[in-house]
Amino acid sequence: AEAIDIQIGSSHPTNNIWVYAMQTALQPELDRLLKEAGGKYSINWHENYGGTLYKFNDTRAAVRDGIVDIGMVGTVWEGSAMPLQNVTYFTPFANSDHVAVIEIFDKLTEELPELKAGWTDQNMVHLSSLVTDSYDIYANFPIASVEDVRNRRLNAPGTSANWLANTGCTPVDGALTTYYTDIQTGVSEGTLSFASGIQPTRVYEVAPHLTRVGFGSMYFGGIAVNKGFYDGLPPEVQAALKQAGKLTSRKHGDYVTQRTTAAMTEMVAAGLQVAELPVAEKEKWANTLPNVAAPWLEANGEAAAAVLKAYFAELKARDITPARDWAAEI
Amino acid sequence: MSSITIGLVLIGVLFLLVLLGMRIAVALLTVAFAGVWILRGNFDLAMRLMSISAYNGVANYLFATIPLFVLMGHLVSISNVGKDTFDVAEALLRRLLGGLGIATVAANTVFAAVTGVSIASAAVFTKVAVPEMTRHGYRPAFAAGTVAGSSVLGMLIPPSLLLIIYGVLAEQSIGRMFIAGLVPGALLALGFVLIIVLMARFSPHLVFTSEHLQRSSDDIHALPKMKLPQVLRKLVPIVILVVFVLGGLYSGFFTPTEAGGVGAFAALLIAVARRSLDLKKWWAVLTQTGTISVGILILLVAAGFYSQMLAVAGIPTAIGHFVQGSGLGATGFLIVYVLLVLLLGMILDSSSILLIVVPIAAPIAQGLGFDLIHFGIITVVAVEVGLLTPPFGISIFTVHSALGDGKTRLEAIFAGALPFVGVMLAVLIIIAAVPQLIIG
Amino acid sequence: MQADTIAEPDPSPLRRLLQGGLNIIAAVGTIWIFAIMLLIVADVVGRNFLAAPITGVAEIAARSVVAIVFLMLPAAVLNGSLVRADFLLRLVESGSERLPHALDFVFAVVGTLLFGAVAVAAWPDTASAWRTAEFFGVRGVWTLPTFPFRLIIVFGSAASALAFAVLGAESLGRLSTVKARPHE
Ligand code: NA
Ligand code: NA
Repeated sequence: AEAIDIQIGSSHPTNNIWVYAMQTALQPELDRLLKEAGGKYSINWHENYGGTLYKFNDTRAAVRDGIVDIGMVGTVWEGSAMPLQNVTYFTPFANSDHVAVIEIFDKLTEELPELKAGWTDQNMVHLSSLVTDSYDIYANFPIASVEDVRNRRLNAPGTSANWLANTGCTPVDGALTTYYTDIQTGVSEGTLSFASGIQPTRVYEVAPHLTRVGFGSMYFGGIAVNKGFYDGLPPEVQAALKQAGKLTSRKHGDYVTQRTTAAMTEMVAAGLQVAELPVAEKEKWANTLPNVAAPWLEANGEAAAAVLKAYFAELKARDITPARDWAAEI
Repeated sequence: MSSITIGLVLIGVLFLLVLLGMRIAVALLTVAFAGVWILRGNFDLAMRLMSISAYNGVANYLFATIPLFVLMGHLVSISNVGKDTFDVAEALLRRLLGGLGIATVAANTVFAAVTGVSIASAAVFTKVAVPEMTRHGYRPAFAAGTVAGSSVLGMLIPPSLLLIIYGVLAEQSIGRMFIAGLVPGALLALGFVLIIVLMARFSPHLVFTSEHLQRSSDDIHALPKMKLPQVLRKLVPIVILVVFVLGGLYSGFFTPTEAGGVGAFAALLIAVARRSLDLKKWWAVLTQTGTISVGILILLVAAGFYSQMLAVAGIPTAIGHFVQGSGLGATGFLIVYVLLVLLLGMILDSSSILLIVVPIAAPIAQGLGFDLIHFGIITVVAVEVGLLTPPFGISIFTVHSALGDGKTRLEAIFAGALPFVGVMLAVLIIIAAVPQLIIG
Repeated sequence: MQADTIAEPDPSPLRRLLQGGLNIIAAVGTIWIFAIMLLIVADVVGRNFLAAPITGVAEIAARSVVAIVFLMLPAAVLNGSLVRADFLLRLVESGSERLPHALDFVFAVVGTLLFGAVAVAAWPDTASAWRTAEFFGVRGVWTLPTFPFRLIIVFGSAASALAFAVLGAESLGRLSTVKARPHE
């Protein structure tokens, strides 16, 4: 068999939800597919997981420049270079089903020229979609209405600060590593986060009230291959890689489900109280927000409008009704 | 040659270049650049990685705290808050054998509660304690060594840059790391006091000059005593600073990362209130802050690129496999790990060591059943030993350059700090053996 | 942090001019440190007392660190204030007058090439940041262009290379002086 060397890597360790499927699905599936195709090619994997080679700021540059051939790319950190990929962050309250987000973005990244170009313009080919489970609020106080967050302080870094706009709640910067201390000392009173991410940080110890406000599941990024490298691969290997990417998406979805379920079980056992915000309040919250998609639409023109409309059409096709129809406001 | 072999050769080359006297940042960058180029056989890739390191290597809020803690140190120094703290400790402790040494440790312990970087402590107390100790018959090398040695408290007692960096790398709560640093910090301070007393008692020639030993020590008792009101007046500023920084941290007004900025601002207010600053002095303080900060930060940039090169060579993975395959138990792993950190401490700065070892070691340690907070304190103490060991000991360098008299040789200060290294190793063994000291 | 142990002759007017220029650039970095402090204090006060935090402080501070480093680096290079372990050098110095200067010369050449390479390596991203109006921050919340930050790296590295070149020329000068005046 002809051996092909592949450098594969990530800014996060292999137990991370976005990296897990690279090692447990993408690599073995590609090996398997190539073997089943007659064994003409085999892969020599060179693993660079866990941020030893580059950190989270450089996931795009790493794949684009061939520092690794295949890598996890967090488009959430690439608001400037890959703005279209961040549509979900500018359309909160759309959908809490992370499996749907994976399916939609696997589909749209293939079919929608604007989304596809987001990757190819950066010298990358998209293989599979990565998501977060639903963002909600973990706080040291219960929330029954949008009024309840007025004059409170919640950790809401980056784009998620938008989701508190006009609610009277003060967004506080931070990161997974700071939430616990921030809440414990009173710098903040809770945080916007998702179950699989927050559980290992034990934030539930200091913020025992989870309110399902339904900011929703977010498209986080993708696993991608360097385009130059991809174009140089034999057609069979290209096809197998694409196929392995699809299987990886599915495995990633399963893993997020599994991790989220386990996280919720564990947190509830440790005393986390879970409350669902009433649908009417969710809608009220969503409609309290200014049009947070507007600046993003304005900056990215027709392409952004096309992506947003396609995304909401796919939601509709799956009978998902967003608490606010951002597509109707274009 | 395998990648690992090349990687090891490159580590050897780095040692050589550093020993020959190349600027350490330049040596790290050069070896890293050459390494990536050779290992991947790709010049452009080496250029790309270097560009990324330059742009993102220190682009972290945590690293912004370095200049701020340094600035705070300078402000505390220029407004004589450090000197006053030392004066009070001196007045209270000088009757004891080795009293000025103990006073230095005591003042450093208090000061550690406001500063987050050890070089700030080292710079402040070199100016304050060394002249005073020398005047009273202490050997300059012992005086300088004591200042350098006790400066490590600055990064064990919270707030601490190293605890912050470890917390981020190992994904541990920084607040918990801070609390965990308290007991070992106190242990270390007690250990330092003990070694000073023991040395003054049993090998006074290491502590005092021979002229001093020949004289009677009555002159010490003849010194005027400090009155209580004076003690209080001198203590007010440092107490305000400590209460402000720790109080602000634990009541949630600001985060550990923000403590540097807020603390520096508080120190500025104190300096202004004490009329210690005119525009010229203020500018001098800022310039010195910049000079020290850029020295540390460019090292961090370089160390980041260097650790990327090691990753390209597969060194971290190899070490991981080696540990897993070697059948080392938890204790065996810890011993090997600490020895490795101590070795790295001889050639690298503290933050770089953490950046290199923690991402590799923390998952292994967790797998072996270590509590990562406990493991972090062990790591930080071991890393801090490196502040005092040759050839690259940044606390020693800081003391040496702050002395600026050219009379006390670098080697002499390294030697003077050796007893303190001994105490640190002893404390390291104690806290490793008794995790309850840290995690309760 | 250590000054060079080798005695410095009077600096040439050209060097003094360069040093002056680089010091002014470094002064910008110095002021920047002060500004970061004020920004953090303003954010803390705004968050706690006015329910009006300053968004993006963490990211702005993070980006600023890099800018500060590359603004101050050239002056530090020329001053010889970057850390080195000099004990072996001093050991050698007592044996041979020329070897330390020869080593310094080699190191300066390496420094020139290295920082030249950093400037060249950082240029493509800088140009592309200008072309694509690359920003950091969040659309609709706050954004800052990355171009100035990237440009500072290019200029800082190039100036550092220049500073190393000047140091190299000086070492070469000393080397030839020592050669001309053999060891008595
Ligand atoms: Na401290
Ligand atoms: Na050392």
